[in-house]
Amino acid sequence: MNILELHNLKKYFATQKAVDDISMSISKGNIFGLLGPNGAGKTTLIRMITGIFYPDAGEILLKGKKFDPENDAKYIGYMPEERGLYKKMKIGEQALYLAQLKGLSKADAMHKIKEWFQRLEMESWWNKKVEDLSKGMGQKLQFVITVLHEPDLIILDEPFSGLDPINANLIKDEIFRLAQNGTTVIFSTHRMEQVEEICNHIVLVNKGTKILDGTVQGVKQDFKENLFGIQLENTPATISSAAFEIIGSNKQELTVKIHDGYKANDVLGYFMNQGCGIVSFKEILPSLNDIFIKLVEGTPTARQFENITA
Amino acid sequence: MHKIILIIKREFLTRVRKRTFIIGTILFPLLYLGLIFGTGYIAEKTKEDLNIAMIDESGLFKQELINAVRGTDSTNTLQLVRVSRETLKASFDSLGFDGYVIIPATFNWKTGIDTNSIMVNTKKSFGMGAINPVEKKLNQIWNKIKHDSLSLDNAKDSILNRTLSLKLNNEKNKNANAVIASTIGYVCGFLMYFILLLYGSQVMMGVTEEKTNRIAEVVVSSVKPFQLMIGKIIGIGMVALTQFLIWILCIFLIYNVTKTTGSGGGAASLMVGKIQEVFTSVNIPLTIGLFIFYLMGGFFFYSSLYAAIGSAINEDMREAQSLSFPITMLVIFSIALMTPAIANPSSPVAVWASIVPFSSPIVMMARIPFGVPNTVPIWQLALSMALLIAGFMFTTWFAARIYRTGILMYGKKPSWKEMIKWAFRK
Repeated sequence: MNILELHNLKKYFATQKAVDDISMSISKGNIFGLLGPNGAGKTTLIRMITGIFYPDAGEILLKGKKFDPENDAKYIGYMPEERGLYKKMKIGEQALYLAQLKGLSKADAMHKIKEWFQRLEMESWWNKKVEDLSKGMGQKLQFVITVLHEPDLIILDEPFSGLDPINANLIKDEIFRLAQNGTTVIFSTHRMEQVEEICNHIVLVNKGTKILDGTVQGVKQDFKENLFGIQLENTPATISSAAFEIIGSNKQELTVKIHDGYKANDVLGYFMNQGCGIVSFKEILPSLNDIFIKLVEGTPTARQFENITA
Repeated sequence: MHKIILIIKREFLTRVRKRTFIIGTILFPLLYLGLIFGTGYIAEKTKEDLNIAMIDESGLFKQELINAVRGTDSTNTLQLVRVSRETLKASFDSLGFDGYVIIPATFNWKTGIDTNSIMVNTKKSFGMGAINPVEKKLNQIWNKIKHDSLSLDNAKDSILNRTLSLKLNNEKNKNANAVIASTIGYVCGFLMYFILLLYGSQVMMGVTEEKTNRIAEVVVSSVKPFQLMIGKIIGIGMVALTQFLIWILCIFLIYNVTKTTGSGGGAASLMVGKIQEVFTSVNIPLTIGLFIFYLMGGFFFYSSLYAAIGSAINEDMREAQSLSFPITMLVIFSIALMTPAIANPSSPVAVWASIVPFSSPIVMMARIPFGVPNTVPIWQLALSMALLIAGFMFTTWFAARIYRTGILMYGKKPSWKEMIKWAFRK
């Protein structure tokens, strides 16, 4: 079942087509990576999903029904990239207030806050103010507030910025735990190594349009360049074969690119015929980072202002 | 609706519990009283005592006449000296005088002198506050000279000095007292002015805080921008109202305590007397009731505009100043209209300024103590109230449309022209 479906969403601003005809669907329990360079339209897209903006055209379906921002707020938790808290308000009261705004009753909210604070070892923060917290602590609090009302869909914008590895792992584990319990997570970032680690499905947007959509493994397969790494006991002095070419080497390992029409077996066969002992042989898949750069490169790095007549 | 109440509650409680609110509530009236009495006291204390030497060439200003007026005013002393003009000019300051006056030989007891003025020669500059008493004293002496020369005795003298005083008797309203009415008018007008500016800017800063801290993004995903804005405005409005009610309560408490105990001596009973006089000449419940109405109406009118500005700006407070300048000018213009309105509460300026929504909260409150329905006819009051309600409904609608765009817009500060475009876009 798809928890969220976007059909031909459009949002034009005076000088930019921020989102130009994007469709996608996200199935329940997925951790979904929304990727794109700066100014690609990610924030605008997220703001439409969270009900902050109305789309100019297109349709958003949440849990199979037309999205109604006012009543569906309780199903969504949104964590913006920076801050998003009252500096001078006490942390306990603040969590309580924001949870109630999401539609939780006071007693219910209190109970859940206590539970979360206990789990993330934040009990002593209750009477402190947000301005007393470090950036990382603030981020942690922000995360708790986002997931407190047990939304079906959580949208996290750069959730790990400012967190040390220990706290980042803590949050990461919580994200996995939530996903296991059936929560869907949309994870917006441009830190590709985190995406590879966490997400199972990604969408890449650039200049307001979707340019890539698929599972992490599928995308990697689609963009593979038939590269293999091979480790040999003894490297022959000259290597020449119609099946492949050497495109890189270091002491232990050779990187080979297999030509079209040949298979990995042809490479192994060549080296075995040469009498070389094979230590290891593995396929090298492109990293998401490489794919990202490949797809986005060549387009202007900064979006240009244009005149929209729509 | 439930969510608006949550927002109102938060805005109200976080502000009322702040130390600055408690201090402000207590300190403001004290500061206000301190300002009134303090400036009077300082003016009194800083008066300069002039010591003036006098050469009398006319032979009319005798020492005994000077001695006779000495007691009337202790801020300056006149002393007759018998030295030449040149010696005095050269050495008056070393003799301990601040200046000197020369009564020329041509001084005539009937006509004075031709030029009609006499110089006080000093080495420093003195204000009129210091010079006027000296002038008064010299004229008193001259009066005595005239009386003596005309051989008027004390009986005739007192006949000559009888004067009339004129008092207003409003036949419709026997209790009308123009002095008390204008005082209450001024107090109401200024109080309104302070509350509008003070709490208006609080709304503006509160909105900017929510925007720059990205709270708006979190909250607007669960409530509508309009709910967030109106909740903040109502919450802060309640704070203003609470503060006002506390002040009113304090006045009543002090009044009742001093009245029943009767203690406190002269000052307290004087105050009780004054307040009683106010009660009989001004319709206090009506004034307080209308004050609350105009306070809320004016507050909604202005604070929604301030909220719109708060949503448009970023962290830079200078941006706030330049954008809010036209709004602040409206408030200041209203207070400028208040003075002529109090001087002439039935003049066309006063009437129209108290009906037009932007100035009505201040100007109408300045007129009301003069009496409803005598000075302020019912139709004017009704029209003014209706227009204020319509006015704040319009500004709230207008501001909400700017707010919902501005609160999520980062980057360049928009101009008023752009903000108006946001408001009228579909």
